[in-house]
Formats: sequence, structure tokens, C-alpha cells
Amino acid sequence: MLGYIFRKFLFNNSLKSKDKYMNENTDTAGSNGDPLSSDLDKNLAVIKEILRDSSDVTFHEFNFGHDRRFKGALVFINSLADKEEINKNILQPLLYDSLMLHNTVDMDFTQIDTISRNILSVTDYLKVNLLSSLLDNLLAGSAILLIHGSNEALAVRLGKGKSRSIEEPGTEVVVRGPREGFIEDVSVNIALIRRKIKDTDLCVERFVMGDKSKTDVYIVYIRSLVNPKLIEEIRRRLNRVKIEAILESGYIEQYIEDSPGSIFPTVSNCEKPDKVAAKILEGRAAILVDGTPFVLVVPMVFIESFQSVEDYYARPFFVSIIRIIRFLSYIISTLGPAIYVALTVFHQELIPTQLLISIAEGRERVPFPAILEAFLMLFAFDLLREAGVRLPKPVGQTVGIVGAIVLGQASVEAGLISPIMVIVVSATAIASFAVPAQTDSGTVLRYIYLALAGIAGGFGVIMGLLATLLHLASLRSFGTPYLWPVVPLNLAGLKDVFFRMPLWSMTKRPTAITWDDGDPYNQGPGLMPSPNTQDNSDSQ
Amino acid sequence: MRKKTCLSMVKLVLYFFMMLTLSGCLGAREINDLEIVIGMGVDKGEGGQISLTAQIVNVSSSGGRPSSSGGGGEGKPFWNVSSKGDSIFEAVRQITHMTGNRLFISHNQAVIFGNDIAAEGLQKYLDFFLRAHEMRPTALILVAEDKASDVMDTKPETEKYPALNIAKLVETYGFTSHLYKVNMKDFASSLMSGTTAQIAPLLSIVKEEESEDIYVSGMVVFKDGKMVGKLSHDEARGLLWVLGKVESGVLDVSLPDGKGKAILEIMKAKGQVTPVMEDDKITFQIKIKAETSLSEQTTTENLATNEMFEKIQEASAEIIHQEIMAAFDKSKEFNADIFGFGEMLHKKYSEQWKKIEKNWDEIYPTIQLNINAETKIIKTDLLKKPVSPKKEEK
Repeated sequence: MLGYIFRKFLFNNSLKSKDKYMNENTDTAGSNGDPLSSDLDKNLAVIKEILRDSSDVTFHEFNFGHDRRFKGALVFINSLADKEEINKNILQPLLYDSLMLHNTVDMDFTQIDTISRNILSVTDYLKVNLLSSLLDNLLAGSAILLIHGSNEALAVRLGKGKSRSIEEPGTEVVVRGPREGFIEDVSVNIALIRRKIKDTDLCVERFVMGDKSKTDVYIVYIRSLVNPKLIEEIRRRLNRVKIEAILESGYIEQYIEDSPGSIFPTVSNCEKPDKVAAKILEGRAAILVDGTPFVLVVPMVFIESFQSVEDYYARPFFVSIIRIIRFLSYIISTLGPAIYVALTVFHQELIPTQLLISIAEGRERVPFPAILEAFLMLFAFDLLREAGVRLPKPVGQTVGIVGAIVLGQASVEAGLISPIMVIVVSATAIASFAVPAQTDSGTVLRYIYLALAGIAGGFGVIMGLLATLLHLASLRSFGTPYLWPVVPLNLAGLKDVFFRMPLWSMTKRPTAITWDDGDPYNQGPGLMPSPNTQDNSDSQ
Repeated sequence: MRKKTCLSMVKLVLYFFMMLTLSGCLGAREINDLEIVIGMGVDKGEGGQISLTAQIVNVSSSGGRPSSSGGGGEGKPFWNVSSKGDSIFEAVRQITHMTGNRLFISHNQAVIFGNDIAAEGLQKYLDFFLRAHEMRPTALILVAEDKASDVMDTKPETEKYPALNIAKLVETYGFTSHLYKVNMKDFASSLMSGTTAQIAPLLSIVKEEESEDIYVSGMVVFKDGKMVGKLSHDEARGLLWVLGKVESGVLDVSLPDGKGKAILEIMKAKGQVTPVMEDDKITFQIKIKAETSLSEQTTTENLATNEMFEKIQEASAEIIHQEIMAAFDKSKEFNADIFGFGEMLHKKYSEQWKKIEKNWDEIYPTIQLNINAETKIIKTDLLKKPVSPKKEEK
């Protein structure tokens, strides 16, 4: 219900500005939509006029052909284009190699096709005939070849932009499993996925989003596995987004998610190619955004937050224990302080006698009510975490040490905080790191539950839990129920929830994601390994 | 649309306030404001008043950590506060004059009644303890040999709190099965049955040169809430055999040839009682089955033989028989149906029971017991043979 009100509020606010934005958009598009003229000087003049304040644009005019009778110009942006490549693959063939041409081979170099087919040693090029697409390609780093007498231009993409090398990602460190992670360059990211799935059905759909940023956005999915309606829905939602710039995949996430008013994420993100490949193979679609290593995957279910890639690389027994620990730690991280406050302020009779005496001893000199004490400690913890994240590493450690000493020891000795509260909050803090995907929701829930516990004790906490459960059960992510496979119950899906069953027993793809009537099996039957009994009997 | 949103907002706010007002359990109390009561004693005061002693945890002195202020001092970890009143509730509230805070009795482990209160009858004093919403029905009932306040003042050596120590003494009855724990709920339900007599552990103080210790010296027998007598340890176990509550314990068997003793540990015990009513003769068939282990022997003879085992088993069954008869004789003496035989008759012969219920006091001493005790030695623990010089062995 809160989400509904929230949406309502947002919608009303955005209505007025929407019309204004649309008008501006059409105005600017009008001038750039002109076709190119066949007059080189005119074209150059127009481009120069548009880019008049940019000092890093190079306009290089030259004559070429065996008799130097053709006029051409190369336009590129210094900072983006690779000059060495331009010299080697465009200028050298045009200026020198064309000199060698025999007089009798009289090619008409006013035709762009003739040049690209016969002279240039490049493969990644595009013919453009509109000023707007010329500018788009120029700004994306292509070198533009304009020829006098042709109303078309050649946009040549040369070399790669500067990008960092593939490294182990910082967010999802694994003990066993591939160490590579996505980087900022989206073409490398797609290559990483292609290397995992060498299938003809793997589709990569390109979108350009953001009026100013012109960011490349790709939808990657396997055509034979994905539900076509899902892709249609993603296309619809992406096309809806009319914003100036997309600087990170988080921008897109916030424009396409199902429940913007919910504290739970309905679009998952991850940094690891193997994880994305696994999700694509389950029938999901990945959304890759240029400029960020974080790839979005839809649809998302709640249980995904408790699964790690490594769960499937390790043998199932230990993993199942870890799963349960993750669920417990999420419960502790959201409910820990709330239950402590509810018990010590409202339901002292539920605490074992000896423990109650210990708690009372610890609280003896504490001047604050337990609820305030809990808020102070949680606030201090979140403060420490935030300070530690933003600071450079060496300073961050100092903050941690100071925080530990001040919060953990000094405040207890000074009688400001009871030692048990320190234990509760630190257990909560540690537990909150065990489920990284739900850290945001966990932190919000922790404060809500704590407030409810302070107001109405265990009753308030139960009410809060019920509200959370109702909300979770009502969430959808691109048509998939958020609590699937628990609600609605799906026995095949349950094999990978609280326990991770052996891989050979998980023979079906998640049905709530593919919604497919076709072949749901991802492996053959009876793959449980066993010794070859046939051979044994032969040897006897 | 807007109207609908508005309505749902109003509903939301309403629900929230209903949650706060209708739940009725918004009694927030900080732990600092609680006086945690772990035991209560009821004695007869002067002029017919009730003298109530509450044992409160003294949080400031029992703190394990060194206090920097040093103001707490080395006081006792508990505080026995006494007050007087015409009723127990009045006395409880009187205590706030001394503590400043309301007593928090949810953690009350034991209610100890003084001898004079027990003799007068517990019935009228129990009401508060059963009615108060904070009080647990599982709080133990005990009787002090003299004054309850004295028992509560005796500081145990290893435990910090006398009341918790007393509760522990009774909770661990299974080691000897010489006593039984009785809580408020059990006591009240046997009080309400009409014919069954109530029991409660009796606390005594042993005074030695320097120290005083508390021990459970037996069980007190009540009839209609009034104390009528006492069961010794062995008699109490006789009662527990019949009730099937024996958990463990020691059977001290003299060997038939009079040469020494075999000491058995009770491993498992079962009791089954079947009432048989023939005309006016009422007999109770009591079947006891016990499994024991040979835990100690005082002779050098090897007892681990089939013949010896049979003899020991017979002798130990005889001990069980004697214990039950001792308890039964005592109960006849008090004319108190501690076994709950009346209830058993009621269940099996409900028609006839209606006729004899009123005369149960006269009938009870006439009933017969038919005891059939069987014991079996199932192991000899770590030794197969006794430790003895080789030459004595055959």
C-alpha cells in the first residue's frame, strides 16, 4: 500500500515536466536530422559550426587518388580515436597506396563504397548519410571519412578505447570458481559471456539510451530458452526511458523495476560472467550497460539473494549448511536488535532467569532506555561502515580500530551502553554482511522492526513481519512471483532453496522464469554417478 | 482514484492506532526499573499478619565486571526484603516502600511456606500465587522446617542465590528419587481433586560450626492443604515407585549370606497400578519393573554370576517392596491418600466411586496393596570382577 502511495506521488510530480522535456527533444532533433550534402566544404562547415567550442576535434583535409584529383577530409576526436590506427589503416592507403594505382585502373573515388571495398584496410565501419548519425559516430570515437562529391560518409571505428584489464571483482569474491569479472567496456563484457555460452541462440540486442550520453545498452538472452514476452517487456520498458544520461546500470534499474516503492530489489545485479551466464541459461535476460561492470539480470526472485555462484561449484553438503546460515544471518541482521529490545523491555518473563540477571547487571548503570541504546549503537555502526567504505584503505582501517575501541569498550566501561547490547549489535552487523544482495533492504527493515519493537514489543515485531511477508508475496519481477518457489510452492524449484540438491538431481529449469511449455530439462535423466557395475562383473 | 488513495491512507493510519490501542500489551518496563524476585517466603508474623519475604537480585553488587566507581561495595548478591500485611498482595505492595520499584515476580522460582503457615493450611495463601498474572504456575512449592525467611537467608557456597539453589536442589530429585518437585499447578490440581493428599519437599537447615547449609530432609504430607506429617527419604521413594516417578537412585542390598553389600544404581523404573474392586474389598495391583546396574560391592566375591544376580535381584525387589509398604503405612497413619488411589478408582470404577467417595477417609486404611516388584541387573559398569587378590578366586 505504501508503494502505491509512493508511486502515485511520483507520477503526479513528473507529469508536468514530461511535456516540457518532449518538446525540447524534438527541437534539437530537427537540425541534426538533415541529410549530408555532396559538397565537402559545406559538410565540414556544418560540423565545425556544431562542434565550434571543442578544441579536440581534428579536421584533416587531403587530396588522394593516383592523380590527386579527389578531395577528402577526415574528422575525428583526438582524445577518442587511435591516431596510429588512423594513419596506418586510413590515411596511408588513401594517400600512398592509391598513388601506386595504375593509370588505367580509374576508380571513381567519389563513391564511398569504392573506397571502403578497394582501398581501406578496416572492417568496422558504417556508412552514414545523416548529419545526426555522423555526429553520433564521431562522438562515440569513430573517425569520419568525408569525400567531396558523395553525400555519404564513412564512420570507421578503430581500436579500442582505454579500458582496464579483466580483474577479480571486488564484490563477489569466490574461493573456488572463475576469477574474472566484468569491466567497464561493454564489448569485453559481451565477449566474456560469449566465451561461456557458444550457442547460436545467444542473442545480443543493442539499444542506445540517453539523449546526451548515448550509452550502449545490450539485452543478452538465449532465444530458445527465454520467454519471448519477457524480452518484449524489457524492450518496452527500455524504450520508455527518456533521460539525458545513463552513467551506470543503476539508472536503468530504477527506471525499469516493477516496484519502485519497495525496499526489496526486483532487478538483480552482478559482476561475474559465470553468474550471468548461469542466469541466462535459466531463461533470464541480462542487461549490459556500457561504462559499468555491473550487469542487470531480470527477472529476480528473493531466493537469488541467498545463492552464490560458488554454491554450485562446491559439493552440496557444506553448501546446504551455508545456505541455512545465510537465511539465519538475514533473520538476525533484520530482527536482532528488535527482538532484544522487545524481550528486555516488554517480555522479561521470556528470558531465562540467569540470563535476565546477567542482562540486568550489564544494564545497571546505563542511563538510556533500551530502545535509545539500540538506536545509538546501530547508528554508530552504520556511521562506521559508511565512513570506512568511502575512505582510502589505510585510513579506513584506523576508523575501524577507533570505532571498535570507542564503541566496544569505552562506551561499555563508561556505562553508556550495556555489554549485551554491544554483542547484539555486533552480531547483527556481522550477519548483515552475509547476504550482500539484501543489505539495503536488511538495513531499512532493521530500523523499522526496531522502532516497532520499541513501540509495541513482540506484538509490533510480529505485525512488522506480517506486513513484510504480505509485501514480499505481492511483489513481482517481470512477471515472476518474488517469493517463488516458496510462494507459489514449486517442488522442483525447492531443490535449490534451503538445501542445494546435487546438480544431477536438479534436472529442470525454473518454471516461473521461463513459463515455457517446451522442454524444461537442462540435462538428461539418471545422471547420478555410480561405479560401472557392468565392468566389475566382467572382471570377476 | 484520489479518493481511493485517501481512503486507504486513512485506513492505514487507523490500523496503526488500532495496533497500539487494542493490543493491550504495551507495558514497557525497562530492566533497570525491575526488582527481579527469584524466591518468596511466607511466614506467620505477629498478630496474625502475614510476613512476606521476597528474595530480590541485587544487581549492583553481583556484577561480574569491576565497577570503576567502587560504590557498590561487597554486598550480598541478593536482598531479602520482608514486609507485613493482612494479605499476600498487600504485603507484596508494601515491599515497594522499601524497594522503590514494583516487584517483578515472573522469575520467581520457588515459594517457601513456613512451618506455622503449613500447619494452618496453605489453601488460603495459594490464591494470590495462582491468580497473579506474572506468577508462573511452574514455580515450586516448598515447606521450611521452621521459618521460611531463615531458609532464604542461608547463603549457599557455590550458588550465588539461595532461591535458585533451592530450586536446583528440588529439580535434581532424580539422582536419588528421595523427593519430588511439586509446583503450584500440581499442588493446586491435587488440592482440587478432593481425595488426593498433597506433598511438598521439606527444607531443613544443618548448622555446622561455621556454615549453615540447606538440604531437603523429606516430603511434607498435606491433607486438604493442612500439613499432617512427614515422609522420610525412603518413604518418599516408596511413593515415587508407585507414581512411576523414580528416575535414578541407589539401592543398598545386603547380600543374603551377610558377608557384605551390593550397591545398585537404578537405571530405569516403571510403575503400574491397577485397582481391583471385588465386592467391598479394594486391592491395588502394583507392578514395579526396575533395571539396575551393579555400581559398587563391598565383598571380594565375584558377584557377576547368574546365581548371585538372582539373589541380589530378589533382595533388591524386597527393598522396593518395603519402601512402598513404608510409604503406604505412613499414609494410612495420616489417613492421607498421597498416591492418588482415589483418583485411579474414580477412573476405573466411576459408578461405584460415587458411593464410596464420601467415605474415602474410612475406606482408605482398609485397602490392600499387592506389590509385585521385579528388578534386573543389566550391567556391572566398568568392572567384570571385583578387584581382589588372585588367590581368593576359585
